[in-house]
Amino acid sequence: MQKQLKEQIERLKKAGATYVDARWYPVEEANYLMMWNGNLKTAASSRESGVGIRALYNGAWGFSASSDVSNIGALFNKAFDNARIAAERVTFPIRLAEKESIQASFNSPNRIDPFTVSLADKISFLKEMDEKLNQPGVAQRVCELIFMRKQIVYIDSEGSEIEKNIIEVFPGIQVMGIDAQGESHGRKFSPSRMGNTRGWETVDRQLFIENAERIVKEMNEVLVAEDCPKEERSVILLPGIMFLQTHETIGHALELDRILGYELGFAGGSFVTLSDFGNLRYGSTKLTARADATLPNSPGSFGYDDDGVAAQNNLLIDKGILVGAITGRQMVEEANARARKQIFNGSGGANRATAFYRVPIERMTNINIDPGDDGSLEDIIRNTEKGIILDGEKSWSIGSNREQFHFATDIGWLVEDGKVMRVVKNSTYKGETVKFYNSLSAVGDQSTWEVHYVNNCGKGQPNQIMQLGHGVPVCRFDNVRIGE
Amino acid sequence: MKDQILQTLRDLRAYALSKKVEAAFFYHEEDSYLMRFANSAISLNTNEHLIRLEITAYEDRKRASYELITDLQKLEEMKQGVDIAAEMVKHAMPLSYQPTIPTFAESFADESGFDSALAAISNGERLAYFNEAVKGLETDDIKLSGIFSCGANIVAQVNTRSEHTQYFKTSDAQVSIVLSHPTLKWEVIAEQSAQKKADLNPSALHRDLSFLLDRYQNDAPQQIPLGKYDIVFGSAASGDLLNVMNWIGFSGGAMKRGFSFISADQVGTKVFSDKFNLTDEPACLETFPFQRDMMGMSRKSFPIFENGVFKSFTWEQDEADEFEAQPTGHSVMHMSLVLSGGDKNVSTLEELMAIPRDNDVLYIPFLHYMNLVNPSKGLITASSRFGALLLKKDGSVIVPYNVRVTQSLLDIFGDKVAWMSKSQTVNNTSQSYGSRNPTAIVVPTFIRVNDLEISHSNSSY
Repeated sequence: MQKQLKEQIERLKKAGATYVDARWYPVEEANYLMMWNGNLKTAASSRESGVGIRALYNGAWGFSASSDVSNIGALFNKAFDNARIAAERVTFPIRLAEKESIQASFNSPNRIDPFTVSLADKISFLKEMDEKLNQPGVAQRVCELIFMRKQIVYIDSEGSEIEKNIIEVFPGIQVMGIDAQGESHGRKFSPSRMGNTRGWETVDRQLFIENAERIVKEMNEVLVAEDCPKEERSVILLPGIMFLQTHETIGHALELDRILGYELGFAGGSFVTLSDFGNLRYGSTKLTARADATLPNSPGSFGYDDDGVAAQNNLLIDKGILVGAITGRQMVEEANARARKQIFNGSGGANRATAFYRVPIERMTNINIDPGDDGSLEDIIRNTEKGIILDGEKSWSIGSNREQFHFATDIGWLVEDGKVMRVVKNSTYKGETVKFYNSLSAVGDQSTWEVHYVNNCGKGQPNQIMQLGHGVPVCRFDNVRIGE
Repeated sequence: MKDQILQTLRDLRAYALSKKVEAAFFYHEEDSYLMRFANSAISLNTNEHLIRLEITAYEDRKRASYELITDLQKLEEMKQGVDIAAEMVKHAMPLSYQPTIPTFAESFADESGFDSALAAISNGERLAYFNEAVKGLETDDIKLSGIFSCGANIVAQVNTRSEHTQYFKTSDAQVSIVLSHPTLKWEVIAEQSAQKKADLNPSALHRDLSFLLDRYQNDAPQQIPLGKYDIVFGSAASGDLLNVMNWIGFSGGAMKRGFSFISADQVGTKVFSDKFNLTDEPACLETFPFQRDMMGMSRKSFPIFENGVFKSFTWEQDEADEFEAQPTGHSVMHMSLVLSGGDKNVSTLEELMAIPRDNDVLYIPFLHYMNLVNPSKGLITASSRFGALLLKKDGSVIVPYNVRVTQSLLDIFGDKVAWMSKSQTVNNTSQSYGSRNPTAIVVPTFIRVNDLEISHSNSSY
C-alpha cells in the first residue's frame, strides 16, 4: 500500500499539486462496554480501515477519503478535483510552515494491550465495580470501559513517512441519586493518569474500589445538602473540574485556527487576537500554561501530528502573559503574514484528525497548568477566608468567543476561615475568562497536580471527536459569582 | 444499488442462520459532501463515501454488537463480523430483562425523502449557491464563513427472525452562512435546510443577511443591563431548546432514571403553555423522517404535548423492555418533532420589528453552547449568538452584546409564552458526529416569551 500511495502522491505533484499527503489506517478498533444498574447494556466493538488524501493546489485544500481502497487513483483524483474547485475562491493562499522530513514511528507506551484482555475479564471488572456502587442512596450506577487502538501510516510529498500505533483506555464509574425534592445528583470517577503507561494496566481495581466508596459517600452527602448560596466567594477548583475549566477557556480559546476565524461558522471564535501575543495579561503571575504533547501517559501525546511534525512542549501563557497558541503548519504561516511579524516560529505540532475520513485541524494536545508554590490542598484551604471547593463537571457552557462561561459541578464544600464547613448541592460558578484568570490567587504544588483526560472533545465540520489531556493543579480564584 | 444492498444483507442473514447465530443487521451508507468557508475562502472541500455495518448478536438475554466500516464487495469481511459478534455474545452478561429482537412483519422501503437532483449537486453548484447568497455583501471588513453540507443517506436492515427487510433512502442539505467582522468580532448568520434541490433558495439567505448586516454595521452596540426581558426566540434557538427535551423531557427511559423534569404522574396534566403543541410527525418529509422504526413498528403522528398538556412519554424498544413499558415506535435515529405554529402573523424579521410593542423586546435567533445545569428542573444555560437585537419600545433598535440565559424550560415554554408565530421554519439540527444522520425540527419562526432573566451581559462582542 505504501508504494501505491507514494506513486499516487508523485502523480498528483506532477499534475500541479504543491503538496499531497495520505493517511492510511490499516486498522482502527474500538471496544465499548457499559454496565448500567448491573445490566451490560452495551458490549460493542468496531473496526475500520481506509485512506484519507489531502491535496493542496493553487493555495487551496481538497480532501477525499474512502474505506474502499480498490481504486486508490480515483480517490487521489477526487481530492485533487476538490482542491481545484476550492482554488476558485481563495483569499489567502495556503502556505505550509517549513518542517523536517521525518522517517519515524511512535508507539504509545503500554504494558498490556487492552485488546488482548478477554471480554470476560473486562466484564468481571465492570461487575465488581457495579456491586461496589450498589449502595443505599444510589438510584443509578454506571460503569464503563472504552478502548481504542489505531495504526496510522502517514506519507507526504515532502518525504516524510511515519507510522503511529496508539492505544487508549478510558475507564469510569458514576452514581446518581434522587434527593427529597426529586432532583437528581451524581458523582463520578475517572482515574487521573499516573505512571508512564496508558494500557490496561492503568485500570487499577484497588483505586477504583476506594473511589467507588468515596463517590457513593459524597453523593449521599449531596442528597441531603442545602443549595449552594448565591454570592461571591473564592472558588477552589480541584483537578476534577479545573481540567475542564482549562479545556474550555484556555485550550479552545488558544486554537490558532479558531483565533483566525476558521471556526466562526460553527462553534465560534476566540476573544484572543494576534496582537495579544506577548502582550495580553491572560491571568495573574501565578498562571503558566503549556501545550505539552510529550507527556507519556496522556491521550494528548501522539508522537507526530498529522502534518508529520514531531510532538512538542510549548508555553502558552508565561506567568500570566499570553505567549503561544495551539498550532499547525498552515495556520502559523497565515497568522504571521496577517500580523506582519513573526509571532510563531514554525508549527507547534498540533494538527490532528480523528479518523482517516476527516481532515487534520488544530487540536489540543495536553493543555496543562504548571504546579505552583502555594502548597497542598490543605494549605490552600487553610489560607482561604470565604470560599467553596468544587469538583466534578456537571455542565459547562462558554460564550461564542470563549470570553465568558458558566459551569455547574457535582459537589461543593463551603470553606469558612480556613476550614471546610459543609457540602452544598447545585453548585455553580460563572465568570469572564480574562478577569477570572487574573483573580487566580493560589496554585497548588506538585502534590495537587493530576493529569485528566477528555475523550470526547468536539470540533470542526465535519465534526471530529478527539482525545486529549490536561495536567492541572488545584487552583483558587477570588471574587467569583457562585450559585446562579 | 438497492438490490445489491438488500441482497448482501440477505446473504449475511443466510450466513448467520447457517451458523445458528441470532442476529440483526444495520447497514448505513453515506455519500457526504462538505464545502466549508472561512475568511471568505473555501477552507475545506471534502467528501466521504462510507459504508458501516452493525451486527448485533443475541443469545437469550445476552446481546453484543460489532460494527465495521466496509464496502459491498467485502462479503467475507462482513461474514467475519458475524463470527466476531457471535463470539462476543457468548461472553456477554445476561441482561435482567429479555431484549426484544427486531422482527419485521413485512418488507418496507421508503425513498420518498430522496431527491436525486439534490444528491447529485455538483461542487460548482455549491460554490455558485454561496456566491449568490453573499453577492455584494463581502467587503475587506466583512468576511464569509459557513458550510454547504449535503449528501445521500441509506439505512437498510434485516434480521434472522424474518426474511423481510427495511430500506430508507434520503437526501439532505444543510447550509449556514456567517458574515462576520473579524476585528469587532460580531457575526450574523442565515441558515437553510433542504430535503430536495428545489428547497435551496440562496436569495432568501441573501435577504436575511443583508437585513442583519445593515443593523450590525450601522447600529451602535451596547451592553444591556441584567434583569428581566421579553424575549423573542428565533427558530434555531427554539429548535435547540426543544431538542434538549429529547434528553431530559419526554423520554420514558430518562424519566425512569430520574433525568427528566417531567414525572410519570404528569401524563395528562398541563406542563407548558396552552399554546404549546408538540408532535412527532413522521409524515413531515422536511424532518427526514422514519416512517417505520428500527424494530419495524409503523410510525404515525404522535402527540407529545397538546395545548400544553403532556400526552405521553416516548419509549424506544430497549428502554421499554427494561422498564416493562409499551414501545411507542421511537427506536429511530431521530424523531420528527414539529411544534405547531401559533396565531401571530409574523414571518420575517422585518415584520417582527414592525410590530408595535409596549416593552423592549430582546430578539435571540441563536443559542450557543447550551448545557443542562439541573435536568430535574429543566434548567439550561446558553449564550445568545449571531444577530441578536434589542427592539426598543420606542421603535429604535440596539445591537446588544451577547447575553447569557439560565432558565428552566418550564418557564421558557410555560405560561410566560406570549405568542408563537403562525409561520413555521425548518431548522436543520443535523450533527456530523459519527455517521450521517440528517435531522430537522419544524418550529414557529418566532416565539415570544415574556419576563425571562438575563444572568450575564457581555461588555463587548
